[in-house]
Amino acid sequence: MEIIIEEITRSHKLIARHKFSQNNVNIGRGYDNDIIMADPHICAQHLSLNFNGDHWILNDEDTINGSFIEDENSKIKPAVDQHIVHSGQVFALGKSLVRIIFPSHSVPKSIKFSPFENLINLTRHPILLTLSIVLFSTITGWLFNLHNPVEVSFTQLLVPAVGMTLLFTLWPAGIALVSHLTKHDARFWGQLGICFVFFNLMWASDFIENLVSFNSSSQSMFTLLVSLLPISLAFCLFWLNCYVGFHMTNRRRTVIATCLTVLLFGGSFLIQLSKKPEFSIRPAFNTTLMAPSYLFTNSNNVQGFIENTKSLFTKAQESAKKEK
Amino acid sequence: MKGLITLILLCVSTVSYSAEQAEEIFKQLAPSLYQIRLIDKASGEKSSIGSGFQISSDGLIATNYHVISGFARHPNKYTIEIFDHQGKKAPLTLQSVDVINDLAIVKREVDRNMPFFEIANGVPQKGEELYSLGNPHDLGMIVVPGTYNGLKKESFNDRIHFTGSVNSGMSGGPVVNKDSQVVGVNVATSGNQIGFLVPHDKLRNLYESYKASVPESIKEQMADQLANNQDKLISTLLKSEWLMRPLGEGVVPTVNIPFIRCWGESNADKADAIVLAVVANCSLDENTYLSSNFFTGAVEMEFRYMQAKELSDTKFYQIFERQLTQVMPGNKAGKDDVSEFQCQHDIVTPSNQAITNKAVFCTRAYKDFPKLFDVIYIAISVDKGDQALLSHFTIAGVTQNSALSFTEKFMESVSWK
Repeated sequence: MEIIIEEITRSHKLIARHKFSQNNVNIGRGYDNDIIMADPHICAQHLSLNFNGDHWILNDEDTINGSFIEDENSKIKPAVDQHIVHSGQVFALGKSLVRIIFPSHSVPKSIKFSPFENLINLTRHPILLTLSIVLFSTITGWLFNLHNPVEVSFTQLLVPAVGMTLLFTLWPAGIALVSHLTKHDARFWGQLGICFVFFNLMWASDFIENLVSFNSSSQSMFTLLVSLLPISLAFCLFWLNCYVGFHMTNRRRTVIATCLTVLLFGGSFLIQLSKKPEFSIRPAFNTTLMAPSYLFTNSNNVQGFIENTKSLFTKAQESAKKEK
Repeated sequence: MKGLITLILLCVSTVSYSAEQAEEIFKQLAPSLYQIRLIDKASGEKSSIGSGFQISSDGLIATNYHVISGFARHPNKYTIEIFDHQGKKAPLTLQSVDVINDLAIVKREVDRNMPFFEIANGVPQKGEELYSLGNPHDLGMIVVPGTYNGLKKESFNDRIHFTGSVNSGMSGGPVVNKDSQVVGVNVATSGNQIGFLVPHDKLRNLYESYKASVPESIKEQMADQLANNQDKLISTLLKSEWLMRPLGEGVVPTVNIPFIRCWGESNADKADAIVLAVVANCSLDENTYLSSNFFTGAVEMEFRYMQAKELSDTKFYQIFERQLTQVMPGNKAGKDDVSEFQCQHDIVTPSNQAITNKAVFCTRAYKDFPKLFDVIYIAISVDKGDQALLSHFTIAGVTQNSALSFTEKFMESVSWK
């Protein structure tokens, strides 16, 4: 009867897969075995598997370190000898793991290509990839110029623009490296494409945030709503990073993306909070200012503005009383 | 030649006459003249010193508010005591203050009638010889002759301009005329031979109102005085003529009243500046002392006209945005004195429709004086691509109604030409 033997890592990632049709399979470090292992903790003749007509029987050949069976909770159980093998069982020999599967073993349902796959393929297309990286550097350089109080020449802009772009490349490169190290496909270009599309979307969301806070008064709730935009963008980016880089269930992907988002925004919030002095004499208000062409809102009149300030006096008085 | 000698002799004789008189006055008044010490209870040492003088036979002593401000603000931390010409000490109790005119009345327990200074009835003549008494830098009581030069012109609350050295430690000491009557109280100096005195009528008013009714709480008394003074100041400002004057392409108000003084500056001489900036600011030249780092009563207005030279609109406004982040309050009040600022902002067009501003208004409340607030207003025009007008004011220690009336008038007054 046919038997499939998989060499797997400790985290059950596949290293090699062998299929045999004979009734006797030997595993060991010796070159006369059917599967030749390199692990020095394995004996020359370590395991033999024999089909007795009904079952596959596993035999440990009196080895130094023995053979063990891993139960459902991935706990190693003591030595096995004359053991009847069930499909899917994992055995430990030396420091290596093998899984034994019979041809009748059922496989999980096939995963349909998600619509993201097309998107990912599109973003890694050389033209689009170049475009989005160039766009990113241009925006970075332009913002650098904008925040500089003096006039800046093109060459002066080049260094921060290219520097920032390289810095931002570290994230997709890092993820690709981690996927590679965890025996997944690295898919560096895919990660790069997705990341730069999202980085550009982040600039767009920055602009929208500015536009909204410039056009709305402090009474408006819009500003709060728009601040959710970068958070959701970051979540999507992390989710796609996981999708491209690693095989995992949807649930797990969502959990990891959520954790990363919370870490990023919660962390920066905590840093801000810890930097905030106990008492600030400086007034804190929204300072966003944009050119007149970005002003869409209707203006308030002086009476309306004065009316709105009245609640500030009450608030200030209450906090003075409370802190006293 | 003969005439010249006579002149010199005359001068010498005047000087010696004046010195003699000063000595006479000092001898006569020394028993009613004291050093006032603020003693820190925990360390038992003096934390500040000033001068004071007896104004009634039953032990009332006048001094400056700022000499005893530590006690007025933190009665549990300090005690006040006097130190007389014979080196005797006695404890004092705080009776009444006039925080606006920097005066205070303290009392010492006496068992017999004490000699005291008489408060003058009339105002001295310009050029009249006066004698300032006090204990500068803890060096011992001295007398400084000087002249009366009328009231300081640019001041909302009257101060006498005295030509003579008033040094620290002399604060709270009396200034008398030849007849030993008090015409003023030492309060401040502005360097070489320029001293300022609180006029005697302020002291008389405080004394009279104290005799009529003793204030129950010094803090409430101060709160009322501050609120009334600032209301009076703001209503004077609002009633005065507001002159509209051009600033670049903008029109900004200045209040036509002597105690609001204006200054201006621009970078028109700098050819390489990417933005032309013209600044004008007007402010009240005095403020009210509450404690060493807590002043109030300031009024400040600032206007800034900016014009871009070959600069994109977006970058021009970005430069402006940075100016918005630099707003600071006019005084250095801390956590114990005030709450944090509460702010709001909006896009506002005044009723003449001549300008559209992003306007920000912030206020904070005083912890010890419940009706008083500091307010900051700043607005930047957002309706012209390459030009902008910034208008800003800050008022310290003002009531809500006064602040809002001022804000309304100010907002309606700034516009484009």
